[in-house]
Amino acid sequence: MSISINRRRFLQSAAIGAAALSVPSGITRALAATPLTMQAAWINDAEFCGYFAALDEGYYTDAGLDLTYLPGGPDVIPESTLIAGRADLALTTPDTTIKAIVDQGAPFKIIGAQYQKNPIGIVSLAKAPIKSPEELKGKTLAVPPVNVISVEAMLEINGIDRSEVNIVPYAYDPTPLLKGEIDASLDFTTNVPYTIEQQGEEAYSFLLYDFGYKTYNDTVVVTEETLAEKRDLLVAWMRASRQGWNANFQDPAAYPPKFADTWFKGTGRTVENEIFFNEAQQPLIENPNGIFAMDDAGIDANIETLNRIGIKASKDMFDTSLLAEI
Amino acid sequence: MQGLPLSFNDVSKAFTIKGEALRVIDGMTLECPAGSFTAILGPSGCGKSTLLRLALALEEDDGGSVKVGGDDPVLARRSGAVGVAFQDAALLPWRTVQDNVRLPFEVLGRTPDRKQIGDLIDLVGLKGFEKAKPGELSGGMRQRVAIARSLVTDPRVLLMDEPFGALDLILRRQMNLELQRIWSAKRPTTLLITHGVDEAVYLADRVVVLSPRPARVLADIDIPFERPRGPELLRDPAFHELCDEIGAHLDSGRGDA
Amino acid sequence: MNEAKRHLVTAALIAGLLIAWEVTGQMKLVAGGTLPAISAILSRLVAEFPEYLPHLAETLKTASTGFVIGNVIAVAAACLFCLFPLTERLFRGINITVFTVPPIALAPVLVIAMDGNAARITLAALLVYFPTMTAALTGLQTADPRAIDLVHAYGGGRFKALWLVRIRTALPAVLSGFQIAAPAAVLGAILAEFGSGARWGLGSFLLGSLGRAEPDRLWGIGLTATAISALGYVAAALAAKWVTGENRALGLTVSQVRSEPERGRLHKAVMVVAALVFPFVIWQVLIWMSGLSPIIAKTPYGVFEYLFLGRGAESAQTRLLVALGETVPVTLLGMLVGLLFAFLLSLISFLSPTIMRAILPFALFTQTMPLVALTPLAVLIFGRGLTVTLVITTSVTFFAAFVVLAQGFAMIPKSAFDLVDAYGASVLQKLRLIAIPACGKWIFVAGRLALPKALLGVMIAEWLATGKGLGNLLNQSRGYLDYGMIWTVALVSILLSVALYQLAELAEKLVTGGRSKK
Repeated sequence: MSISINRRRFLQSAAIGAAALSVPSGITRALAATPLTMQAAWINDAEFCGYFAALDEGYYTDAGLDLTYLPGGPDVIPESTLIAGRADLALTTPDTTIKAIVDQGAPFKIIGAQYQKNPIGIVSLAKAPIKSPEELKGKTLAVPPVNVISVEAMLEINGIDRSEVNIVPYAYDPTPLLKGEIDASLDFTTNVPYTIEQQGEEAYSFLLYDFGYKTYNDTVVVTEETLAEKRDLLVAWMRASRQGWNANFQDPAAYPPKFADTWFKGTGRTVENEIFFNEAQQPLIENPNGIFAMDDAGIDANIETLNRIGIKASKDMFDTSLLAEI
Repeated sequence: MQGLPLSFNDVSKAFTIKGEALRVIDGMTLECPAGSFTAILGPSGCGKSTLLRLALALEEDDGGSVKVGGDDPVLARRSGAVGVAFQDAALLPWRTVQDNVRLPFEVLGRTPDRKQIGDLIDLVGLKGFEKAKPGELSGGMRQRVAIARSLVTDPRVLLMDEPFGALDLILRRQMNLELQRIWSAKRPTTLLITHGVDEAVYLADRVVVLSPRPARVLADIDIPFERPRGPELLRDPAFHELCDEIGAHLDSGRGDA
Repeated sequence: MNEAKRHLVTAALIAGLLIAWEVTGQMKLVAGGTLPAISAILSRLVAEFPEYLPHLAETLKTASTGFVIGNVIAVAAACLFCLFPLTERLFRGINITVFTVPPIALAPVLVIAMDGNAARITLAALLVYFPTMTAALTGLQTADPRAIDLVHAYGGGRFKALWLVRIRTALPAVLSGFQIAAPAAVLGAILAEFGSGARWGLGSFLLGSLGRAEPDRLWGIGLTATAISALGYVAAALAAKWVTGENRALGLTVSQVRSEPERGRLHKAVMVVAALVFPFVIWQVLIWMSGLSPIIAKTPYGVFEYLFLGRGAESAQTRLLVALGETVPVTLLGMLVGLLFAFLLSLISFLSPTIMRAILPFALFTQTMPLVALTPLAVLIFGRGLTVTLVITTSVTFFAAFVVLAQGFAMIPKSAFDLVDAYGASVLQKLRLIAIPACGKWIFVAGRLALPKALLGVMIAEWLATGKGLGNLLNQSRGYLDYGMIWTVALVSILLSVALYQLAELAEKLVTGGRSKK
């Protein structure tokens, strides 16, 4: 067992060595920087603009970090990457993380939250809008299998019987919604309405958050071990990331075009889509206490929401002490 | 090179088919002295081919012993002492004629004797077809390739399982003549399994007639004709008399089946 | 008809099908225009091609690396199994496991256990292994017994027979295996790219493009994937054609009665137990070696504990049983439909190679067009019920079975047909008297290839369209980081597939029971 871990460490340091060699000789700071790896929740899109900005502006380097950024995808469960030791921190959905802590005894701590309000919501067409959970009754709603738990929670909070809504799988493509095969879908409200408008339709959406499902999203999660061993690095990462997000939100239309040939190259999406996304997510991310803030009221709302669906969240799963050190 | 003696001593063999034992050979004893030519006749399915397969160690006997040159058949075949020709030519379809004839050398791990290969192809009348693939040859030609192959290692024991069964009468006669000529020159101990009474009488020193399954020796007849035997022997009344006698043995065997 | 004329007919047929597609697309006949016109797909593909290039290069690299690694291991394994039949029995469980483990269950595990690139190559190689191994083994075992005897008669052992006779005999079969393996490698690479957070590759491109609700882009990606698969398929098919001509049996070989050494019941029982236990041993060892946390990497005992002893055991059992009740009946139906479709297709290919050559590109397309890109279309056309499940299942199962069956038909010696032709046999008579009996062995090989895939097809449909059964349970469990359930579903789906595989073997035994073996 220890052999394989050592081997992995060896490979990591070998890769870092190779990376260091490829750095132009003028930049000596990169050699001194400490490696840190983050696992994102999805492929490169505007959801992670702040990190790309921080990377490109050199905020991490300035903070003494040599950050490796791992994009996510449907098969990447960010918490698993942490457990497998392939990343130091991950952006997660809090219900999954907390369920893993409760059910599996996973040693996770939530040290920050990117989205103060979870951007997932119910998206329908404006010509047949669904404006509240109540109006979902008798309708067909497409939900990604991993998010069914969230929808069920929202229905329960609003006193709607699960059996009154026809929930079918959502396979990342809004076409069935546009063609009227389904009445609504669960998706990021920051993203899909753009696509729908591009196809000549008007979208209507509401956040689950606004109907009692008050959770964060893209929570910053680390293992207890990492928290103990790399506390300084994590604080440095949060500080630099906050800088990146602040720079990004100066003008949400500014950064996405800059990333067109780098971070967003080859994703199959358009820069206009990312600008829409970036603008739409600004009010969901920003907090007077700074990016990643988790105040008591917010944490309590998360705990209360999750407790209602039987996930026994508690305060000790959140650690706000790093936020204080930024 | 001198032929090696071949002996079957109280050999038995049974197959299990659908859980039932089928006795094919039951306590057979047969001695083939060095340099002899023995033909085996018998009704279809009587176990003739099994006898040959035992001598090749392709089957294991259930009792008794099979010896080639006084040794285990496995040792004999490994030393390259055995040549074999099967009922169908069993040529490798992707190899040319000369590569098929060369095969035994490759299996034995010996350097191929190119002159020998050329001579034998010539001998069986396939000169000019060295580079042909079996698919391009007629049935008779393929069978002749198989004969050439069986002789290519200068075997001391030659085992042939109806090698001419697929040939027409004219070709068969021709091949009989050639085999007789080749055999006379090298004198390997030969066991020929055949259906043809006249072929057996023409080629062999001795004809053994087997009973229907399980195989027993019904008759063991010496063939007295002088060698070399020419085509005129086929017109000799004594030849036909002997053929009729052997035919009668075969019929009697059929009767008590 | 002469050769040139036949090609002309094929070309005309393909053109006809393409025109039908174009008209359907232009007039928005299917699902309100969700099936785009071929001209719309192509013009967009051409315009965006520079964007495709880095993705194409990455997928080609991953798929071809996986193809080579998977096939080398497959052929080596087939040789080992042929030389030492005991090992085949021992590895049987492993082989079927590799074949039947649903990639959608495997991908998340591979992604955490390996570096991104290694995980993607591994998935491609795993999908390649079984079809090639099975085809190669069948090829090695069906070598002319007389030729093998000949090698033995000159003192050659099994290695000599393998080298001089079996390998060359197996070549057409191996190449037909490659024909299945080529699209499989591409699909494996794309599936892995799609899920594993890769920056490049057609799978990643597809994932990013899915949210745009622009079917012509999705079809463009599918076409590109098909083009690479077709390249591999055609290369293997041409090579197969070239060597099959020489391999065609020269005459009908007389089947030989061979005595098999009788083994005791004890010996048989020991082998069965060993084949059952061996995969679990390997599983346990791999988990130990991976050094992964027990939260994500479950050992056999871990799964047992989860399902029977743990806190949530009862709920887990209930959820599993409900899912099984939804999945199993549909799977049985799907497997019949898939096999029937493959048989019909190979029949067409046998009766009219011209029509087949026209259909083939479209059949190949279904293999490499990632299902996730087709789901919106499938759902819009077929709804979210049984029909869509059967359609998806058939599309997953038929291809491998078809290739094997068509190969089986092609191996029938000409002389056999000449014989019945002489009696003026009709096409149907030829089929009944010669073709079907002669490719009997291949029918069962096809069945073994198709049956376990039926479950995969059903699970994909459940995951993408119907939201029921094991496929849905698997994906929901991922949302809960419920690795106990993920491993349980993977294990149960493997066991189910193994059961189906054994079913196919049993059928083979019942039908060929009277005939001799080997």
